[in-house]
Amino acid sequence: MKMVSHIAFENIRYYKSRNILIGIAIFLTTLLLYLVPSTGLNLIEGQFAVVNEIYPTWHALFRDVEENEVEKLAAYHDISTYGLRCDAGRIASEEADIFMIYLDENGFLLYKTKLLEGELPQKEDEIVVSANLLKAIGKADKSIGDRITLSYQILQADTLGFMEEKEFLITGFVEDQASGEQSKVYSAFVSKAFLEQEIPSNIRTYRFLFQVNSRKDALTSELENKINSIADVFGIPDNNILINDDYLMANYVDPAIQPAIIGIMAIVMAAGIITIYSVYYIGMTDRIQEFGRIKAIGATRKQIRWIVLLEGLLVAFAAIPIGLIAGSVRLKGVFYLFLHFFQGENQSIHIMKELFDNNQLSLFHGWIYAAATLVALLTVCVSLLRPMLIMSRISVIEAIRFRPECTDRKGKRVRKEKSFLEITLPRLSYIYLTGNKKNTGITILSMGITGVFLMVTATILSCANPKEIANGEMLGQYEVVIKVDNRNKEHPERKWNNIIRNNPLNCELKKKIEELEGVTFVSEFDYIRVFSDSFGEDSEGVGGVPEEYASQLEDGIIEGTATYEDLKSGDNVIIDKDLLQWYPDLKIGDTLVLNVDLEDEECFREVTILAIGDYSTGFTNYNDLLMAKEGARKLCSYNITESYHIFTSKVYSSDMEQALHELIAADSDRLQIQTWQEVYEEWSSSMATISGACYMFFGILGAICVMNIINTMIHSVHVRKKEIGMMQALGMTDRQLIGMLQQEGFLYILGTLILSIGVGSALGYPVFLWAKEKGMFGISNYHYPAAAAGIISLSLLLIQIILVFSLSRAVKKKTLVERIRFSE
Amino acid sequence: MSTILKVENLIKYYKTGEAVVKAVDNTNLEIIRGEFTVIVGRSGSGKSTLLHLIGGLDRPDSGRVIMDGQDIFSMKEDQLARLRRNKIGFIFQDYNLIPSLTVWENVVLPLGLDKKKVRKDKIMEILSKIGMEDRKDARPDTLSGGQKQRTAIARALAASPAIILADEPTGNLDSKTELEVMSLLKKCVNEFGQTLVMITHDETIAQMADKVIYIEDGKVVTVS
Ligand SMILES: Nc1ncnc2c1ncn2[C@@H]1O[C@H](COP(=O)(O)OP(=O)(O)OP(=O)(O)O)[C@@H](O)[C@H]1O
Ligand SMILES: [Mg+2]
Repeated sequence: MKMVSHIAFENIRYYKSRNILIGIAIFLTTLLLYLVPSTGLNLIEGQFAVVNEIYPTWHALFRDVEENEVEKLAAYHDISTYGLRCDAGRIASEEADIFMIYLDENGFLLYKTKLLEGELPQKEDEIVVSANLLKAIGKADKSIGDRITLSYQILQADTLGFMEEKEFLITGFVEDQASGEQSKVYSAFVSKAFLEQEIPSNIRTYRFLFQVNSRKDALTSELENKINSIADVFGIPDNNILINDDYLMANYVDPAIQPAIIGIMAIVMAAGIITIYSVYYIGMTDRIQEFGRIKAIGATRKQIRWIVLLEGLLVAFAAIPIGLIAGSVRLKGVFYLFLHFFQGENQSIHIMKELFDNNQLSLFHGWIYAAATLVALLTVCVSLLRPMLIMSRISVIEAIRFRPECTDRKGKRVRKEKSFLEITLPRLSYIYLTGNKKNTGITILSMGITGVFLMVTATILSCANPKEIANGEMLGQYEVVIKVDNRNKEHPERKWNNIIRNNPLNCELKKKIEELEGVTFVSEFDYIRVFSDSFGEDSEGVGGVPEEYASQLEDGIIEGTATYEDLKSGDNVIIDKDLLQWYPDLKIGDTLVLNVDLEDEECFREVTILAIGDYSTGFTNYNDLLMAKEGARKLCSYNITESYHIFTSKVYSSDMEQALHELIAADSDRLQIQTWQEVYEEWSSSMATISGACYMFFGILGAICVMNIINTMIHSVHVRKKEIGMMQALGMTDRQLIGMLQQEGFLYILGTLILSIGVGSALGYPVFLWAKEKGMFGISNYHYPAAAAGIISLSLLLIQIILVFSLSRAVKKKTLVERIRFSE
Repeated sequence: MSTILKVENLIKYYKTGEAVVKAVDNTNLEIIRGEFTVIVGRSGSGKSTLLHLIGGLDRPDSGRVIMDGQDIFSMKEDQLARLRRNKIGFIFQDYNLIPSLTVWENVVLPLGLDKKKVRKDKIMEILSKIGMEDRKDARPDTLSGGQKQRTAIARALAASPAIILADEPTGNLDSKTELEVMSLLKKCVNEFGQTLVMITHDETIAQMADKVIYIEDGKVVTVS
């Protein structure tokens, strides 16, 4: 064993340059193996922690639970803790929305509502308030023990009752919510006694907040299933269940994250294996002789395998800790940069950074160090498997006679027996490379694979053009849209069939918008909510497309024919292809019986599908049945306008946004404004993150693979030191030498480029089509990733030129005679 | 009779640890154009070192080598390389063929480096003279020692250099081939006016020479 490790150690010194390269490859591999999962894990844990800091901790709540059911639910075996909440009423205030809420003790815990001072209300005239709430009602001077008189309306069976007045005793203060300041929504907490006094027990219902029994590592989907099954047992209707998704996501691992991280680590490992293996492989031929000699002296197969493995492991033992240290040093910077790109500078990122900065959360995880080390070692071992086998199996006589340049493993002649009439520099390069086909191939292949990955990713990234995405998501520079919400009990005014009877998007508003300075045009899209047997339980939207978009409507057709004129009758529709995802059986010529959702009126209409089209969501606003506006209006006589698309002379001005906000201020709970700029910026920043992360990842991966060409070039010069010396003795000038090496390197680069850019581009297109089909990043048009192709080409060329110059300088360090005579 | 090559006070020492090997020790000599000069001496006496210095492959510690009136060590590397491929044909002691090239390619390599046209008939003639024409597409590792040596000789002759520097070119040849090779080299001197400087241990070859230089411990002992 001592002899073995001694030889391994000597070999490392002797094959210094190769082992340095392998060391660099292992270092970079370890770096990635450490940084990728660390960043991922920190992001997840950070978000968990932030959400835990912010969000209520109940898993789900059931609405409208009656008192007698509360006890039954509480006793149910799958529920671990529960709390109760009841919205008792509203306190009158001009400036703010103030709710009177009853929360039991557990409710306070589950909502993370902390008493800053004082006690919870017990008697019917006791109340807990917050500082800002008092300010909002002009009683900022009151404190615990003071009495205040409040006017309030009690909420019974979804309706607010008459105004009442009562004197309360302040028993405690709660913290103000950060968001409360802006939205002017506050809560005052009343006692159970108050509730019982004000609301008769037969109509008193609660929100039942609870956590279910679960393992710490339960999946989000498992918990949701559990919650739904509890609801089933107690016959709680779907729209009375509210699942606390943010909290569940934050506390339970999403099943998609682990495979994603493992997948990325597998790619890194593969790149490491390909590189380390090919670095070993390239140098194998000249080492076969050496190991043959060691074997001739009497080393066993096992010893030879150990020598090979030990040499690799010794390098790994040096490189892995360096990788881990470098990773640890850089981790914070990388992670914060990632956060910055990823989410900009929003509230939760601030909280997250604070948690990390205050060491409430640790950036570093022991098991990631262990895992990165293990995976890196595994990478080295796997790469060495084949070299170990080959080296241990060589026969002594074969090894001593081995002639690397002229035979392959089976001893067949590689080159045909034919000479070039004349020798030129390019021919010299050609002869060398074709004589070493396997080396050449492995080098090109291992670099090319990374290149192909990069090109395909770059294709997707370059197709995801924020401008196009924004254009696809929005028509015009501003949009005023109705917030339709058919299921929200708290906002019945947002139900579609209520909106159309009193639509805030009316002529008056339109006219005001058109009169704004800078507005050039306002386009009006309609929406009708319809049910149909063909859609099962769900509702779908019929969109009314205005005349000015007639040609866009017609151009979007991908199957069948229909003119705008055809769609004016109200009997024909075009369906968006997205609809087929839900109802794959729909086809051209089908008749749908639509039932317009008018609640108290019956209104059926038969329509025929004339064509299938492919439209952006900005155009359809998710209404997948499209008609001419005239046609849509034949289905429903109310005001069915859903959105105004506002075109302005400037892309964005804050004055314009302000002016629009002022115009809709009165209806701000039913209308919302979206700006093109906002959508564009959002996509720009998230695309910048994704691209940044991808390119950083591929940059390091590329660096791992670059070790290949460095090794191959060094090797080709190293084994030919004598040969090159002879050629120089025969009169080859330094310039010719550099030229020859340059050409060789260039052929590697060319091969790699053809493979990565050729295959990468060819693969890029189908992947683009796939991404478009899947609606990934709102991709719509193909953009060739010219920048990425250029960067790959340039950086490879640069590496090659630098490499050749430094190599030819290294060659010249020894005198000619030294190289010719003593190169053994 | 003009001097093609003049060696003045040439010194080359090798230091290996404590010991200093005086491989070339203050050597002076002249080579006459169109003559056949033989250098003899015991193994390790510094013959190869001297020949390498003459051909500009190595640099001396001091002294000059003047070829055609030019001090070759005052030249730049690339100039020297050009001089080598234009004027000098080397035949190395250990052949020094390029393993990845065939016999033919090895032979025409100096021409290729000089971007000179290859005259096929002329190369074929040289190859046939040394009996290598049917092995012209073979690669060095499939050749015997003698065949390698003959290829090295053909390579030195291919560019018709003014001066041929040969380090024991017949060391591995049987006596018949040796004679053929020698007559080819002599022909170069006699018919084409090339200059030949050859290291040898072979007495009979030394007999053929116009001049014999004896070397001992890096010094020229006698010239005859
Ligand atoms: N690079 C070097 N380092 C140290 N010593 C050297 C070096 N090159 C040559 N020598 C020594 O210089 C001396 C002369 O060597 P050289 O090769 O010139 O001898 P030679 O006369 O050609 O011998 P042979 O007839 O065996 O070929 C020898 O003792 C040799 O060991
Ligand atoms: Mg010698």
